[in-house]
Amino acid sequence: MIKAIDDFVSRLDASVSLDQNLIVKKQNRFFLLDENLRKLISKDFFYAGIYLGKTKNRKFFPSFSLLGMIAQGKANKVIVHKKTAWLFICGRDIFKQGIIKVMGSERKGDYTLVLNIHGECLGFGRILCDLGIRRKGVAVKNISDIGDFLRREK
Amino acid sequence: MSGREFFIERYEKLGWKYEHVEPRQAIRINSINTRKPADVVKRLQSLGIELGRVPFLENGYWICKSEFSVGATSEYLLGLYSIQEAAAQIPATLFTELKDKTVLDACAAPGGKTIQLADLMRNTGAIIGLDVKKQRLTALSNQLERCHVKNAIAYLLDARKASRLNTRFDCILLDLPCSGNFATDEDWFKRRTIKDVERNAMLQREILAETSKVLKDNGEIVYSTCSVEPEENELNIDWAVKNLNLQVEEVNCYGQKALTNVFGKHLDSSIEKGRRIWPGQTQGFFVCKLKRRECA
Repeated sequence: MIKAIDDFVSRLDASVSLDQNLIVKKQNRFFLLDENLRKLISKDFFYAGIYLGKTKNRKFFPSFSLLGMIAQGKANKVIVHKKTAWLFICGRDIFKQGIIKVMGSERKGDYTLVLNIHGECLGFGRILCDLGIRRKGVAVKNISDIGDFLRREK
Repeated sequence: MSGREFFIERYEKLGWKYEHVEPRQAIRINSINTRKPADVVKRLQSLGIELGRVPFLENGYWICKSEFSVGATSEYLLGLYSIQEAAAQIPATLFTELKDKTVLDACAAPGGKTIQLADLMRNTGAIIGLDVKKQRLTALSNQLERCHVKNAIAYLLDARKASRLNTRFDCILLDLPCSGNFATDEDWFKRRTIKDVERNAMLQREILAETSKVLKDNGEIVYSTCSVEPEENELNIDWAVKNLNLQVEEVNCYGQKALTNVFGKHLDSSIEKGRRIWPGQTQGFFVCKLKRRECA
């Protein structure tokens, strides 16, 4: 797998199976094709298949498609209340009391996916304090959320 | 020649009496992203959004009442539905079969119909989407990502150069750039002249002529515009039937039979298989299905 993607996925204590032969790079963006698309694609494409994310200044920025794929398997996840989910989409951080359930790492500094009560992935963040410890305040720092689709339009 | 009176008089000559309309906003549930479309409806209703089923669409709903923008819910951002005008949801449904097919969406951005095609294809086969403006392709890309489309490739390419793709297509969606209509643009009568209509009609013919070259022998073209001007609709189809070796196919959808007499000019009788939608419940619209003419 492309190292940048691999490194990101491992930060969520997760794994996804991506066929390296089907990953194509366009400038700094990565896309996953299927066999059908691979036969049809030419090098001057603008967008193709599943957008996986992009690199900028050697840092990897995952797409929401990739986050959704990771969320389907074992990974660090927090499930949050409805109101917390909405605030997260609006770009806010997650307070401890907004978390319903923690799966995987509770360790400070680790990445975690943020899911709503329907199990849908809303984005990801970094754990700011050990989630096992009883403490109020910000627990997960928002790094990326699906509200970005609206912010991009502006 | 332009102006409100000029166009209204034309519509009357075509058999429709002008009335002011304000089409309702509509959404389409992306069925591939949910187990049951009804679940999405329930979620939206729980937010206080009042929905009304569009009777002629499978997954289309009118927004009857909403206190906030339906483009700013988590359900929208998760790709569970798209905002798509009701008449605009018709063209993609007219192909006989889409699963596993190679489909050209010749004027794809901003992507409403591309996403609908992917939904109808259940993300199988392949969609090649074209557009001429990079900014519009960026908007298309965002929509594809939001709605979890997996089977599309987008190119910055003028549909009038579609042969450069070196691919032949089972299905071609031509939702063409057009003059639009007064139902969705309150300044339409002020802004549009017959020259605009004629210029768009020529562009549409060029795209139709080029894309017909990349259609497989048994392939289908669905032609649509959101214009109600016959130059961009029936007259173009009549030209295509007479010049591009195409024939009009029956469609079973909302709308009136297309016109076969336009300002005294008699068109090929098969044109009536197309559908003309005068503004009312929806915006104005035209749709028609074409196939390569069968040899006698």
